[in-house]
Amino acid sequence: MTRHEASPYATVMGDGQLTGRPIVLAGAGPYGGDLEIPEPLVTGGRKWVDVDRDICMHAEQFPTRRWWMAFGVALAMLGVLVFSVIVLIYGGMGIVGVNQPVGWGTFIINFVFWIGIGHAGTLISAVLYLFRQQWRTGINRAAEAMTLFAVACAGIFPIIHLGRAWFAYWLIPYPNARGPLWVNFNSPLAWDIFAISTYGLVSLTFWYIGLLPDLATVRDRATHPWRRAIYNAMSFGWTGSHRAWRHYESAYMILAALATPLVFSVHTIVSFDFATSVMPGWHTTIFPPYFVIGAIFSGFAMVITLMTFMRGYFGMTHYITLNHMEAMAKILMLTGMLVGFAYSTEFFMAWYSGSEWEGFVFRNRAFGPYWWAYAIMFTCNAIVPQVFWWKAMRRNTWVLFVVSILVNVGMWFERYVIVVTSLHRDYLPSSWGMYALTRWDYLILIGSFGLFFTLFLLFVRVLPVVAISEVKGVMDPEVARSHPASAAAAALQEA
Amino acid sequence: MMPVSTKGILGHFYVPAEALAAAAKVRDAGWTHFDFLTPFPIHGMEDAMGQKTSWIPWVTAVLALCGVLFAQGLQNYVMVWDWPMNFGGKPFAAWPAFVPITFEAMVFWAALGSAIVAIIAGKIDTVPQPPPMLVATGATVDRFVLWISATDPKWDAAEAERFLRSLGADGVRLVDARGGSDA
Repeated sequence: MTRHEASPYATVMGDGQLTGRPIVLAGAGPYGGDLEIPEPLVTGGRKWVDVDRDICMHAEQFPTRRWWMAFGVALAMLGVLVFSVIVLIYGGMGIVGVNQPVGWGTFIINFVFWIGIGHAGTLISAVLYLFRQQWRTGINRAAEAMTLFAVACAGIFPIIHLGRAWFAYWLIPYPNARGPLWVNFNSPLAWDIFAISTYGLVSLTFWYIGLLPDLATVRDRATHPWRRAIYNAMSFGWTGSHRAWRHYESAYMILAALATPLVFSVHTIVSFDFATSVMPGWHTTIFPPYFVIGAIFSGFAMVITLMTFMRGYFGMTHYITLNHMEAMAKILMLTGMLVGFAYSTEFFMAWYSGSEWEGFVFRNRAFGPYWWAYAIMFTCNAIVPQVFWWKAMRRNTWVLFVVSILVNVGMWFERYVIVVTSLHRDYLPSSWGMYALTRWDYLILIGSFGLFFTLFLLFVRVLPVVAISEVKGVMDPEVARSHPASAAAAALQEA
Repeated sequence: MMPVSTKGILGHFYVPAEALAAAAKVRDAGWTHFDFLTPFPIHGMEDAMGQKTSWIPWVTAVLALCGVLFAQGLQNYVMVWDWPMNFGGKPFAAWPAFVPITFEAMVFWAALGSAIVAIIAGKIDTVPQPPPMLVATGATVDRFVLWISATDPKWDAAEAERFLRSLGADGVRLVDARGGSDA
């Protein structure tokens, strides 16, 4: 592409000038035709120097009052989690609602919910990287951080669900003095341990590798020698050497290529916890794709919620533009329709299979005593995202925010519907029952959000919240350069 | 660990295209101990600097195989040899049940190992670098810095300086960390 004297990107100052459609340069294409180029990913005429300031600022200045307020609320909710878990471990599982016949309650619901949230982070960082979606650079750092914190929240629940949480280390297969008593590798619950821990650690590695060059940027901006030394150690002495970039880029690509099947495998294995059982409503082959797509759907909703905050609270509108939000809205609508399709397929198969039990479970799901949970799920997940057929809705941050919250609610209820409605009425009508949450179920759920937001708020205070080096790479050098021209430019013109 | 040269020359460029053109000229002029310090990776720089493709994928392949062998070894050892249990008359070596953990272990070994090896490789598989904490280059901000180490067989301070200026580099300066920098 021929470089223009004045880049068309230099004049795009903010969201107001973005349309979500290509910029048409009349007569600039081959043979005098029009040239269409995508709109800039970074607005406001930002230079590379400005990127460092805009993004590192939040980790360099004293926290604002708004941050303290948000942090105070999050910390209070985290306190609720710590208190309730202590009470749970001291008092035993009797204080929460699980009982016969519903032996899997909110802990498993919350576990699947939080693990699902995490999946969007990996999708953005790995899958969109492999597909060369450059808009991911504005949001991938925060989305990957979200993955880690969501996995941290998810990890709590299977452990407290054990009842005797202090024996959690029995889940790890290691030579021991208990027989030796090994885990049963034929059990999907044992697969889960490997899947979740691999997912957590590989996500952490991927995130940290992405952070290395940015930690060096923070180091080079630091004025205090300690701060400089700490960030230098954290970046492993990164200098930006292209001989290091060569291996770095190769490793980054490989991590993306490994994380992509990993993210699909993790929720597949989570779905095996259900699908390999003989419960009607669980024992179906659609579960792996259904769970994976639901996870991506709920995760994107959470990303939209967080990005709305980052735009509003931290003023990141030049890096997370309306075009980014619109792209996420499109993915939300697509995955929402796939989830809705899965709901319909389940119903069709319940009828088409001719299985009496399967048919009953699905009639009971939609029209039984838990019809309200099914209605919330179906409305929030399959119907509400349909507003994104209209471009004006995709580009309205209020609509996006409200829809993202509704989808989060809907996806929590999806897991509620799957877990509770299948268990509460199975083969034997004499052992049917109902499931009621106790106050501790609610407190632990609320508390897990406290842990999530506490970790996220700490993250925005100490680390660059946008991938600086990746954003710099997708900016137009003609806008981003700090010097208009040098001798080298003239030499390049002659050559 | 990382080879560091206390002497050399630095000069910088302002856009990737200039850096790319300069790198090709440095390569063609026969310099070998040179490097580009850049705020983000530049597409095509490997060729321009005359580097081969990274060997990290081979490390990944070996580690992935190790992960597969580890997981298969562990599961077969436990389920077939050390603690065989009869689940409804099913075979002890129920290989389909071992697939998920084998896959997870493969990813785990390959991903973590590749990341660690890549970080170390960036330090070892390189040419002598400028003394990192002594030289503020701006390469993590917005400059594309060319570094030629004095360890280069072709090294001649005056010749190197003349060459960098002929490339059109800005801020050309000789670094001598022992004898003091003239910057």
